[in-house]
Amino acid sequence: MSKGMNREATGGAKVFWRSLEMKADADRAAEHAGSDVIKRTVDARELTRLNRRNFMTLSGAIGALAGLEGCIRRPAEKILPYSEAPDDVTLGNALHYATAVQRRGETVGLLVTANEGRPTKIEGNPVHPASRGATDIFTQSRILDLYDADRAQQPSKSGIPKSYADFDGVLGDAIAAALKGGGKGLRVLMTPTNSPTVQALRQKVKARFPQAGFHTYAPLNDDAERQATQLAFGQPLVVRNDFERARIVLSLDSDFMLTETGSVEATKGYARARTMNSAADEPNRLYVVEPSMSVTGSNADHRLRLKGSAIGAYLKALAAELVAQGVPVGTTIGSAISGSKAPAGVPETWIKVVAKELASHRGQSLVVAGSRQPAAVHALVFAINRALGNPGKTVSYAAAPDIAAKPCFDDIKALAADMAGGKVDTLVILGGNPVHDAPVDVGFRDAIKKVNLSIAFTDRADETADLASWHVPRAHELESWGDLVARDGRYSVQQPLIAPLFEARSDLEVLATLAGEEGGARALVQATAAARGAGDSLAFDRLVQKGVSDSGASQVLAGIAVNESAVVQGLSTLQGSGDGLEVVFLPDNKVWDGDQVNNTWLLEIPDPITRITWDNAALIGPSTAKQLGVENGDMIRVSVGGASVEIVAWVQPGQADGVVGLPLGWGRSKAGQNAVGAGFDVYPLRTTAAPHYAGGAKVEKLGSTYPISQTQEHDFMEGRPLAVDATVAEYRERPQFGQWASPDFSAGPLWQTVDYTKGLQWGMVIDLNNCTGCSACVAACQAENNIPVVGKDQVSRGREMSWMRIDRYYVGEDIDDPEVAYQPVGCQHCEEAPCENVCPVNATSHSPEGLNDIAYNRCIGTRYCMNNCPYKVRRFNFLNFNLDIPETEQMQFNPEVSIRFRGVIEKCTYCVQRIQKAKIQARREGRAVVDGEVTVACQQVCPADAISFGDINDPNTAVSKKRGVDRHYGLLSDVGTRPRTRFLGKVRNPSPEMKG
Amino acid sequence: MSSAADAPIAAIGETPVLPEHVDSSVISEQVSVVTETEAPLGWWIYFGISLIGLGILGISVGWLFWEGIGVWGNNSPAGWAWDITNFVWWIGIGHAGTLISAILFLFRQKWRTSVNRFAEAMTIFAVICALLFPSIHVGRPWHIYYTLPLPNQMAMWPNFKSPLLWDVFAVSTYFTVSLLFWYVGLIPDLATLRDRAKSLTRKRAYGAFALGWRGSNRHWRNYERAYLILAALSTPLVLSVHSVVSFDFATSVMPGWHTTIFPPYFVAGAVFSGFAMVMTLMIIARQVYDLKDLMTMKHLENMNKIMLVTGSLVGYAYAMEFFIAWYSGNEYERYVFINRATGPYWWAYWWMVSCNVLSPQLFWFKRCRTSIPIMFVISILINIGMWFERFVIIVTSLHRDYLPSSWGYFSPTIVDIGCFVGSLGLFFTAFGLFIRWLPQIAMFEVKAIVPGAQPSHHGPHDDGPAAATLQAKEA
Repeated sequence: MSKGMNREATGGAKVFWRSLEMKADADRAAEHAGSDVIKRTVDARELTRLNRRNFMTLSGAIGALAGLEGCIRRPAEKILPYSEAPDDVTLGNALHYATAVQRRGETVGLLVTANEGRPTKIEGNPVHPASRGATDIFTQSRILDLYDADRAQQPSKSGIPKSYADFDGVLGDAIAAALKGGGKGLRVLMTPTNSPTVQALRQKVKARFPQAGFHTYAPLNDDAERQATQLAFGQPLVVRNDFERARIVLSLDSDFMLTETGSVEATKGYARARTMNSAADEPNRLYVVEPSMSVTGSNADHRLRLKGSAIGAYLKALAAELVAQGVPVGTTIGSAISGSKAPAGVPETWIKVVAKELASHRGQSLVVAGSRQPAAVHALVFAINRALGNPGKTVSYAAAPDIAAKPCFDDIKALAADMAGGKVDTLVILGGNPVHDAPVDVGFRDAIKKVNLSIAFTDRADETADLASWHVPRAHELESWGDLVARDGRYSVQQPLIAPLFEARSDLEVLATLAGEEGGARALVQATAAARGAGDSLAFDRLVQKGVSDSGASQVLAGIAVNESAVVQGLSTLQGSGDGLEVVFLPDNKVWDGDQVNNTWLLEIPDPITRITWDNAALIGPSTAKQLGVENGDMIRVSVGGASVEIVAWVQPGQADGVVGLPLGWGRSKAGQNAVGAGFDVYPLRTTAAPHYAGGAKVEKLGSTYPISQTQEHDFMEGRPLAVDATVAEYRERPQFGQWASPDFSAGPLWQTVDYTKGLQWGMVIDLNNCTGCSACVAACQAENNIPVVGKDQVSRGREMSWMRIDRYYVGEDIDDPEVAYQPVGCQHCEEAPCENVCPVNATSHSPEGLNDIAYNRCIGTRYCMNNCPYKVRRFNFLNFNLDIPETEQMQFNPEVSIRFRGVIEKCTYCVQRIQKAKIQARREGRAVVDGEVTVACQQVCPADAISFGDINDPNTAVSKKRGVDRHYGLLSDVGTRPRTRFLGKVRNPSPEMKG
Repeated sequence: MSSAADAPIAAIGETPVLPEHVDSSVISEQVSVVTETEAPLGWWIYFGISLIGLGILGISVGWLFWEGIGVWGNNSPAGWAWDITNFVWWIGIGHAGTLISAILFLFRQKWRTSVNRFAEAMTIFAVICALLFPSIHVGRPWHIYYTLPLPNQMAMWPNFKSPLLWDVFAVSTYFTVSLLFWYVGLIPDLATLRDRAKSLTRKRAYGAFALGWRGSNRHWRNYERAYLILAALSTPLVLSVHSVVSFDFATSVMPGWHTTIFPPYFVAGAVFSGFAMVMTLMIIARQVYDLKDLMTMKHLENMNKIMLVTGSLVGYAYAMEFFIAWYSGNEYERYVFINRATGPYWWAYWWMVSCNVLSPQLFWFKRCRTSIPIMFVISILINIGMWFERFVIIVTSLHRDYLPSSWGYFSPTIVDIGCFVGSLGLFFTAFGLFIRWLPQIAMFEVKAIVPGAQPSHHGPHDDGPAAATLQAKEA
């Protein structure tokens, strides 16, 4: 990257080299643009390899150490002013811009923080319906994708770098040729889109090229739901669940809390229905039926482990029982399913009691089906919800954002067939990575070679770019104009936060070129906005500023009738479940479908369930693993049909018997230096016939093992009162169950204690009953606090740096079917902090506001504080983890948080920079800091509102009220640390009738 | 020098410390000649190996400084591992010297004279090795001076509440006093070497360090006063240093560390390991330089008895830790001790118990107590066992503490091993130089206990060791 390009990338702002070394490095990087030269994470194996050169370096170092003076590596810095200050930029003051991104089928409204022209942090937009101020782990990490050093930097033809002039020439010729044939042979492959402007441009391209074809493909999609609405209602709709109003939720293989569409909104609603501010409150109850332990399943009050293919049969049996209990599921459906038997092994209570609970909560219950379930299951769910009187209350239906889209698997199959048949001359791939993630039977990998001119617009030189004849960099969502509608129909404009870092093209620009439109992306978006009511430029500016339109919500279809005979016909196509092993393809809890697999934050943040970092693994339940003779870390070969993959096995409690869970998205051959070598690719097992479950699988041991890095290697609480939980009944019997388990220390210390009753006193409360374990807070903390990534090897050595972690414990006797307890743990900011007493140099001490502060400059790194911390939240910079951060990634750094050098301790600061900012603002305005003015990063992102933060001296703050909830306790309070962070015990809400 | 002088001792049934034929000239000759003649081949081999160890230390520490603590195996939860294990181990070894020199001096244990010089030298070198580890184990060693109470414009002082700071004071005081004690004790012998010197260089070198010692009555009087005062100063240090080191652990909140038994337990362990190390070195020097007349079986047997006592003391401490863990009812404390004996580091625990508690029990038997091969092997076993004791305390307590979510496992890297082996190299290099160039036995003190050096009658005033030494000198 040249200096000039960099300036352009930051919107005219200069970027300054912090030292000559850094400049030299960047120049070297430019020489090898696109190749894997920049070392990202420090690999200790490399450090300890002593070759001749290292030895000479070392000898020199030893010599230099003899005269120790001046050996401190302080980078030379130059500080230069803007020669011409931009109007809206005040140095040191961050700006916030509203925008939106599409996550799966839903649009999530965002507020993005920018420092001197660099976007640095993503937050949810509080006024956006699908965000309500929160985001998830995927969206949090997108900011790092923007600065990914492995992003493509210029067009290339068969791997040879080319200029845009070359490319535009080729594209122009292709368009001219296509114009002659009316677009015959021109095909565009896109990912599912919620963008009205993209859809409008698609129409314009079609008008210009009547013979051209558009195709949609994403490996993880909501087609089943869409097909089901077509089946049941006769039109493509989206399902909008309102978990807040549902008292009884039955989830059929739906991970609505993390990986399904609209998870942020769903979690918000679910958590509100779950919240208990006193024992008198009635929490909702969650039943989950699923094959593989998901985040949602881990939060269930009752969880049934069932093969994915058996869930349809279970639902039929449940529907039959509902009919028997007088729920009007419908006469046609009723007669078709009468006498349906539950799959073998399903306890009778799971039919009888669940049906009874649903039947007794009409209009207050909700049945949801996951995207892996076939359309017929969804359709039957619609019928059941309707019979329960839920539509208009807990569930509603609305127009789909993109009516024209065809089902992904059919569409890609048709496209590949045309390509193989020589019917495609020019293929434009806009995003996605079909070569890697299309089902194998489609044969996309071979078909693309038959296409005369294939142009891949992708953000990196991935597998698709590799096989396409041309590869052109695709702009990041934060770099381009665009627009999106949310599932409720409200409209958002995407505004660029930064000029494209590298010369990349946005989707709108590409489509505009094909459509022959002039005027640029912004004008196109503005035209769409005008059609939606933001006509004049003032209204447009307001829309952009706010991030979402006030009006325009689509019509809610609540009372829509279900076409029963169509549903019955659909049900008749349901296939039963076989006896053998069944694989289930899982959206990965971190890297999704593989889209974000080069993101070091996501690679290093442990999986919420398995706690594995930097890899995926075949997840097999303990009993099944025993039968197969497989142990953790064994390499196995999983075969389905004729295909097979080799993958490491992991014994995962909570898997259904006979199920092998395979997380998608890993094992990439070309996605960037972080992704390559991480995990195992399971796409080769996926076919259009069985894209979600595949029976008849075989597992054989290969005899070798593979090292797995986890951040948490011990799964049980050992009977200690850590993540304290109780059932609702126990809670009502003993409201202070938290204190009973982990009583506050009553004896005072021997010395005079600090008076914490004056002024602002910061404190946090984490409600374990709300926490779903989704790990969004971990990503948010990483983004806010410049936390370094250390790499798989260092994680395996126990040196991960995360300030916020989520401890996951299994509870219960049956290791095949455990309950799960999550506990987010950051610094507890103890009022009698063991770390402070032991620091010999006073580097860590208490602030008058109750914060446990660290002066990095004073820290000499004895690690005594880390040893003496009962919570083990203090992290030590064992190596210089910030040494080789690519220059682009450095742009993500939050300028308000110091970068820590090797040899110092760091830990959660309660986002002290945010506290200070609010205090300064309040002082400038001559007032006190008000409640809610300081939100810490983990609190802000949490979709479950599990974290409260504020002044505990003021009894009226939200955090003080939470502290007053009777089930509060301090973690390890009996050590005498008096932690400022308090927990509210988890409350489980099992049905008394489910026992036995 | 007549055998009549031995009569009182013989009368009470004791054997003399030194054989009858040993007199002042024999002592001077046997001890001084080591520094005056060419070093034997054995010394060169020993010294070469030690130098290689020192080189390993240089490379390991250089690499450590270049890359950071990450080249060691330390992690979270085990923030300390071999580094502090080595520190405590060396500090423990450094205890025997002062104990022998000061406490046994005050208790008038005359047999100490043959071993005290040796033990003091060992103390100095062991404390140097010990000081090395806290200095290099910090993340930013170039800022280690922050631990010193230096006035500065930020008015930042060290944290006087921190046991690590107490360590800084305790260990540096101990080192200073031990060094002074050793040097003061060397002065008369340095003068002997100066007087015997044949070359001008030797004369000048030893002369400079002998500080103009002439052996006058006044010199002896001042010397004895100074030595007595230093002995009195050192005595509490013997107990305090390791007590303070134990506070590093005892004042923390970690189960397995937070224990009131630690100060006496650590002191007993320190004396135990110090004697074992003196024993190892002494047996080697005794064989190589044929000093059987000066380091007699009686010396060795006495030391073995002390090891039996201190070994049993630490055994008692081990047992008591378990009892208190059970008796306290504290689940974390209980778990830590069960985990010590049966957890992933069970082998370290049982090494410790076998070496420290079981092996010294052989010294109940006189045959074992007086057998050179047995005591040599046991002394080495004790050193190994005491290293494991510190490893067990530090690593097994840390690796599984309060929150099971944070439990981990520590494995050493090659650099951990390099630093430990390297510190042995430093120690043995320094010791080799000491043996080669300085009198390894306190000649003038041994002379004071040869038969006939003592006053043949006891007058109304007991003149104490000073008088005895004067007599020896006159003889």
